[in-house]
Parts: sequence; structure tokens; C-alpha cells
Amino acid sequence: MKWSAWFNRRRWEGRMDTEFQFHLDSQISDYVRKGLSQEEAELRARREFGPPELAKDECRDQRPVEWLDHFLRDLRYACRSLRRSPGFAAAAIITLALGIGANTAIFSVVYAVLLKPLPYSEPEQIYSVEVVIPERRSQFASLPVTVQAYLEWRKANTAFAAMSALSRWECSLTGDGEPELLGGARVSTNFFSFLGVPIERGRGFSIEEEQPGNERVVVISDALWRRRYGANPALIGRAINVNGESHIVVGIAPPSLLVPTGTLLHPLIAFAPQIDLWKPIAVTQRELKNESWDHGLLVRLRPGGNREQGRHQLQAILNALVRAQVPDIKTELIPELVPIREIYAGKVRLRLLLVLGASGLLLLIACTNIANLFLARVASRAGEFATRIALGAGRARILSQTLTETSVLAILGGTLGAVIAQYGTGLLAAHGPDDVRLLADTQLNLPVFLFATTVSLVTGIICGVFPAWQTYRKDASRSLHEGARTAFRGSRTVRFCQILVGVEMALGTALLASAGLLLHSFVRVMRVDRGYQIERVLAVDLSLFGQRYSTGESRVEFYRELPGNVRALPGVLAAGAISDLPASSGSSGASRTIFFATDTNFQSLVLARPVAMIRSVTAGYFAASGSALRAGRFFTDHEDVPVSLISESLANRLWPRETPAAAVGRTIRQGDVTGPLIAVAGVVEDVRPGGADRELPPVIYRPHDQWASGPMTLVVRTSQEPAALGPAVRSEIRKLDPNLPIPAIRTMREIVSASVAQRRFQMVLTSLFAFVALLLGAVGIYGVVSYSVACRTREIGLQIALGAMRIDVMRWVFSHGVQPVLIGLLVGLGGAIAIARALRSLLFEITPTDPVTLGSVLLVLLLTSALACYLPARRAARLDPMAALRHE
Amino acid sequence: MPRHNKTARNDAEILQGTLDLLILKVAALQPIHGYGIVQRLQQISNEALQIRQGSLYPALYRLENQGWLKAEWKTTDGGREAKYYRLTKAGRQQLEAETAGWKRLCDAISLVLETGE
Repeated sequence: MKWSAWFNRRRWEGRMDTEFQFHLDSQISDYVRKGLSQEEAELRARREFGPPELAKDECRDQRPVEWLDHFLRDLRYACRSLRRSPGFAAAAIITLALGIGANTAIFSVVYAVLLKPLPYSEPEQIYSVEVVIPERRSQFASLPVTVQAYLEWRKANTAFAAMSALSRWECSLTGDGEPELLGGARVSTNFFSFLGVPIERGRGFSIEEEQPGNERVVVISDALWRRRYGANPALIGRAINVNGESHIVVGIAPPSLLVPTGTLLHPLIAFAPQIDLWKPIAVTQRELKNESWDHGLLVRLRPGGNREQGRHQLQAILNALVRAQVPDIKTELIPELVPIREIYAGKVRLRLLLVLGASGLLLLIACTNIANLFLARVASRAGEFATRIALGAGRARILSQTLTETSVLAILGGTLGAVIAQYGTGLLAAHGPDDVRLLADTQLNLPVFLFATTVSLVTGIICGVFPAWQTYRKDASRSLHEGARTAFRGSRTVRFCQILVGVEMALGTALLASAGLLLHSFVRVMRVDRGYQIERVLAVDLSLFGQRYSTGESRVEFYRELPGNVRALPGVLAAGAISDLPASSGSSGASRTIFFATDTNFQSLVLARPVAMIRSVTAGYFAASGSALRAGRFFTDHEDVPVSLISESLANRLWPRETPAAAVGRTIRQGDVTGPLIAVAGVVEDVRPGGADRELPPVIYRPHDQWASGPMTLVVRTSQEPAALGPAVRSEIRKLDPNLPIPAIRTMREIVSASVAQRRFQMVLTSLFAFVALLLGAVGIYGVVSYSVACRTREIGLQIALGAMRIDVMRWVFSHGVQPVLIGLLVGLGGAIAIARALRSLLFEITPTDPVTLGSVLLVLLLTSALACYLPARRAARLDPMAALRHE
Repeated sequence: MPRHNKTARNDAEILQGTLDLLILKVAALQPIHGYGIVQRLQQISNEALQIRQGSLYPALYRLENQGWLKAEWKTTDGGREAKYYRLTKAGRQQLEAETAGWKRLCDAISLVLETGE
């Protein structure tokens, strides 16, 4: 009713006019009837009625929607007064927007990755199983499981409702268009029902399909189905060609299916970044004979089941199995259950929490800044308030005006913050490292947005309204007399603002120092000697398949011919191939225990000898990668006897306290004491895997014709800009085999850059926050110093008039501004070191007290705050003493 | 709905408060328009009560907002549209309360005046 009355204001006015007119007309006609002339009657009626406009105004005051009018008036007033101080308005709005926006964006991602329930049925019951061999712990924190262990566990355990294994599967998809190299996975037939994710189109696998011979069926991803097959429902039941063999498509996975990709499940099982095909695991007799630690295993606890009991049972079954095979082995394998949440979030948790902490600090700084801005503003308006109070403004009106102004700022800041949050969430979800991207959705987290908005708003209200209310409590006339400066300037406000600046600087220092340490670590990671060249190197993954390559010789032939042809291209310096490119983040090639030639007892020595990753390389690989030879020689095209190159760290483990040269010419065995003797042809420098921050793994390199592996990566070293050679390399591959899928040819720089994506993600975000914090801090210092200068204009003018040098004035202003900064710096530095200690694992080759970083941070902060002080100090020094004395 | 009764008025507003009471009293008899109220007040008080007629309307609007009067547009005998005010239930209670208050005040004043003689 009230609203409609307001909206019908014109109608309301019209009715009031009608009512008044009726009154006058009635009066006039009454007078006329009593015998007055028309003119006299009108005159008299008007006189008795009084001024109609006054009556109308008084009536309008009685309108029920008066508060709305007041509000609109306050709104207009607030907008006008904010427009008069655009600096304050802009600073407050931007501060609010950054604080709200950054926090909402970060928390939306943190929520999606760390807190939101995983899209499985009862995800908290699902665990991943890893095996720890205590004797191997220094080299492998844990291992994936063997297929034998999986089968035995599945048969004998009672604690788990279901188990589902998965292992990697390289897929070359041919027919129906361009050949493609896709990521796939072999999974237990119960995989989809295990996760509780129903297949909507077609079906999942049936138990019969785990029998060898029945396993030529696939479920494909929704993305692949849409992209390659145009979402054709008739694809189900049709055969597609995977790795040269025909497979029946039985189902399409739902688009929302979340499965572990990359090395999420275990560092030693590298799935593709995207899985598009699933096929049942059908264990052959040959696979049962070979023991390979290359299966991931997910288990689902029975409802109400006990995790520790389940683990114990698995341990008993596993060790019984091991003893049955190697009766005298002196070790106890320990299976571990890792909650599935850890699989997805474990590696990013610390990084995300760090970023969240940084954005939280930013919000704190933002609130401090807002408090600062508002306090200074209220103080500078104390005179205005006093005047208005003296003129009769009620406390409610003053309060409601301040409140309106705060709300206008909050709404503008909040709106801008929502835009930043929306955009930022999308940006984070799209550009985060793989494991963040997997879970992050671009949904803005509304409760968080409201929370951040409320926090900033409450800060604004406390800092804006409370002092205004205090002003009112003071004797209005006294404030008016004493002028704005003494009433509120009060050294109390300045002191309080200084404390706020100190807090802001402390928080900013902590943030900036953390960012500096991460930045320095990042620079170190990028600069570290990786043991291979990064500049002017190309790499492309190849996976041979089909009848043509059924024999080892044909594969060897391909990898002998291809690098030879590529090397003949103009601009190419060297070319070679390797089975696991060290730069890719997931290196998962086979690994074997290395025995001395003299070792005879496998069972007693297997846990005492080092384990090395085996990499298969062609003769030209080292020339292409640029890894340095420490001793001996590289491979030639034709090696007659079994040979190897070993990495420096493997040489060190095998023959500690001996030079690399001493290793050359010795013989070793790989995998078993009965294996063939392998000569060590040379020792090469260590290469750093993936993100460069992991330990140097011992590696044994074998010539490709002596140790054939599955997929290889062709590495090409060029004399010019490498990307330009991509098409030529591609056409060389096409010439050799037109059916071979060729994925994107990437430069080594791109690959390395992708491998440090996580580190960069967190470094960039923290730096961004630190930069914003620095900016806000500078604004805060500038504001407070300017304000204290403004408050003391008269005093400064007096001093100048009495002969103070301008330099003295500047010194005075500086000491005033820098004092809280210095205290803040010291406190913040302590905080930064504490934070860095907690984040030690994210640092690379620097200590939490890295002097270079902390020194530069201090320098940056001091320079910034000096600049922020300099501007008002200069203004103070240039004051015209006469003008200053007349000031107010 | 009865609103909060603002009985605490300062000196300048006593007259206004009295006007409210008179309006309520007149409107209690029958639905009546603004001009009618003025006529009736002058008639009953034998022209002794003179009010600035324009100030009647803010009072009417306020009483309407307070829920003591209810307004309706009706056609007069002369065929014109006029706004008629009618006393509500809350208004009747208010009238009784104010009348009682007024009487107490009058008694008190008379007492003071008589004692002073």
C-alpha cells in the first residue's frame, strides 16, 4: 500500500488538489448563497483557507512514504558528496572490490576443490591403495599395486564392499577421420558402478568382459563422442579402431564423470591429462607371470567398516602372497589407504590454502584500509557535521546520511567485486594447474560473496558511522567553535590511523615476503640446470600400433629411420627418441632393481640394491637433448653386446666414493641376478624430472634395439626458432606412416612451462595479492600522512613563518609517516618468516630467511612508503605560511 | 491498526492535538468531508472556534495515516466527487482516550485556577 502510494504520487497529488478545490468551491458557493458577490466570496474563501501551497506541503509531510523520500534525498546527498571527493570514493570502492572479489574467487575455487563432495556415491568410503616397502622408502614413498595383489585382495578380503583397479592405456584411434593419440584407461569391469556413476547411454562393462578374448569393448567419454562422432546415438554397438584392433563401443560416459588423470592417482602411474576411452582389464597368463607395480586400486569400505581393520586385512593377504612367491624375503609390505579426496586435493591443498591465506590477508588489509579511509574522512568532515547539528539536524538524520554514504560505497564496491569474483573464478578454473582445473567449476560461491561483502560493509559502518555518532555526542557548539581540527583530529584519530597503517604494513610485508620467496623459488626452478636443453628443442609423442609394428624389429627400424630423416631437414642439429621425456610431469616408465655382476642371491639382495628407472633411447637422443656425458661414451647406432648408460646418481649409489669414470666398463644386471650382463658404456649427468623440485631419480638408459618400450618421444634440436620446424617434422612422420596419430608438436620450453604450472599458478596469485596489498598499503600511508598534514596546516605554517626550514618540515612529516611503517615492517617480517617455515616444502633451494628476497622486499616497501610520504611532505614544505595561517 | 500514540507534545502542538480531538469527534457522528468538518466545527462552537482551514487537511492526512480515520471518495448530493472521512474502530478508542485525557486536563487546570483565586 505504501509503495503503491509512492508510485502513484501524481495521482495522489491530483486527489489532494481535487479535495482542496472541492473545499474552496463549496465555501464559495455557500458565501454566494449568503449573498456575497462571486469575487468577494472567492477572496474570502481563499483568505480563510490560507496559503494552499503551505497546506499541501504539510500534507505531503504526512504521506506514509516519507522515509523513502528521506532515503532518496540521502542517496542524492551521498552521491553528491562522494563526487566531491573522488579520490576517497575511488580508493574505497576499489579497495572493497578487490577485497571482496579476490576472496570470493579464491574461496569459490577452494570450496570446489577441497570441500565440495566428490561426484561419487558415498565418496568418503572410497580409498586408494598404495604399498610401502619400508626398505625402499627413501627412494619411493609408496608404490602402486601389482595386478596379482589386486586379484588376491579381491578374492580374500571381507572388509571392503568392492574394489576397482585401473591402469594406463595409450590409445591410437584410427578410422572415422584423422588418426588421434588419446588418453585411455584399463579398468575393472565394475569401475562405473563402483564409483556410483551410472552410464546413461548404453551400458558399463559386464563381468564376463574381464575374460581375455572378451575385452574388446570400450566406453568412451562424452567429449570424444560429441567431438569425433557428432553425438551420434547409433555409435553404441558399433566397432571403432583402437590401436589397430576393433573394439565395440558399449556406452558413453556421462559428461560429469570425474576420474583421476595425470599422476593424481599415484606419481608412478601417469595417465593422460584427459581420459577418453575405458576398456576392461583382462589379465592374461603372461601378465600374471610378470610382476609389475603399475595398477592403481580403489576400494570401497563396507558401510560402517573400519579403515584400520581393512588395512590390516590387506596387509596380511599381501604378505602371505609375497611369502608364497619369495619364501625367505625379509620385509613386511605395508598397504596404505588414502582417502580419495586426497587423490584430487592432496597435492594442491597446501598451495590453495596458501593462496586463500594470501587473499584473506588481502581482505584484512582492505578492511584496515577502509577503516583508515573512513576515519580520516569522518575526521575531515567533523566541522561539517558540527555545523549541521548546530542547524538542528537530528542524530538519526546524521547517522542515516553516513549510513547511506557507506551503503552507496559498499554497493558500488560489492558490484565491482562481484564482477571481479565472477571473472576471477572463471580465470582460475580455466588457467589453474590440471588438478585445480579438474574440480573447479566456474560457479561463484554466493555465501562467500555475501560473507566478504558483509565483512567489508561492517568495517565501513563501524568506521564511518561510529565516529559520526561520537561527533554528535560532543557538544555541537564547542566543536563548531574549535573547528574541525581539534574536535576530531584529535591526536587520537591520527594515532589510531597510524596504528592501522602499521597493521596494514605488517600484513603487507608478510604477504610480500611470502610472494617474494615463492617468486625467488620459481626463478630458481626455471634457472636450475635440468640436465637437458630447454631452448630450441622440439618434442612430439609417438605411439606405434597395429600389424605393421607387431615385431620388435619393425619398431626399431621406425625409430632408426625417423630421427635420421628429421636430422636431414635444414635447420635441424640433432634428433633422437626417448621412452619417457624427463620434462613431462608424469614419468612412469618401468623401473628395475640393479644388481652387480657378482650378485647371486636375489632374495637377500633385492631390497639392498638400488632401483633405477629404465629409459629406452635411440643413438641420437643425447645429442638432441643436450645432456652432458660425465665419463665413457654415448650409444652408437649398432651396439653388439648389451650396454647401458647410467645416471650419475645411479653410479653414486652403486659405487659410492668412486669417480664416474671408474664405472665405465663395469657390468651390471637389471631386474634379476640371472639376467644378462650389461656393460656400462658411460655415465651421463642427472636430469631433473617434471617440475624439477623432486629428487633426482637414478636412471639407466638402454639402446632402443636392446630394450624396446611402448610410446616414444621424438626430440629435435634446431638451430633456429623451433616452432617453425613443426610442419616439416610432421610431414617426415607422415611420410613414414600416414596412419600414425601425431599430437601437437611442442617446444621443450612449453613442456617445461607446463610442468611448473602449479608453482607458477600459486606464485602468480600470491604475487598479485602482494602487489595489491602494496598498493593498498601505499594508499593507506598516503591518506594518513596527507590527513595529518591537513590537520596541522596552521601549525606548519606557523613554524615556517617562525623560520623553520622546508627540510625540517619535510623531515617532520616523514618521521610521522615512516614511524608506523617501520614498526609494521619488523612485525610483518617476523610473520613472513613464520609463514615461510610452514611452507618450506614450496620453496626451492632457498631458506625461509633468504636474505636476497627479504632484503628486496624491505627495499621495495621502504621505497613505496617513502614515496607515499613524499608527496604530502612536499606539499607541506611548499605551504605559503600566510595562507596556512589563515587556513580555516 | 493503532499506531504508536504520540501523546507527548510540546506547547506549540497543544492546539494541534486539540484539533485532532475535535476532528475525531465530528467524524464520529457520520462520514464527512473536510469542508463539512469545518462547517460543523463553526456551527457547533457558534463560530467561536476559528481555524485556518488549510491546516485542517494535514491533520486529516495524519489521522488517516495513523489509522484512526478511513477515507472514501463519494459523490455528494451536488454531484461532485468528495473525500469522506469515517472514524475507525481504533479511532473510536483514540477518541475516548483523548476525551478522557482532555477532561482530566481541564479538571486539573480548573483546579489550579480555582485554588489560585
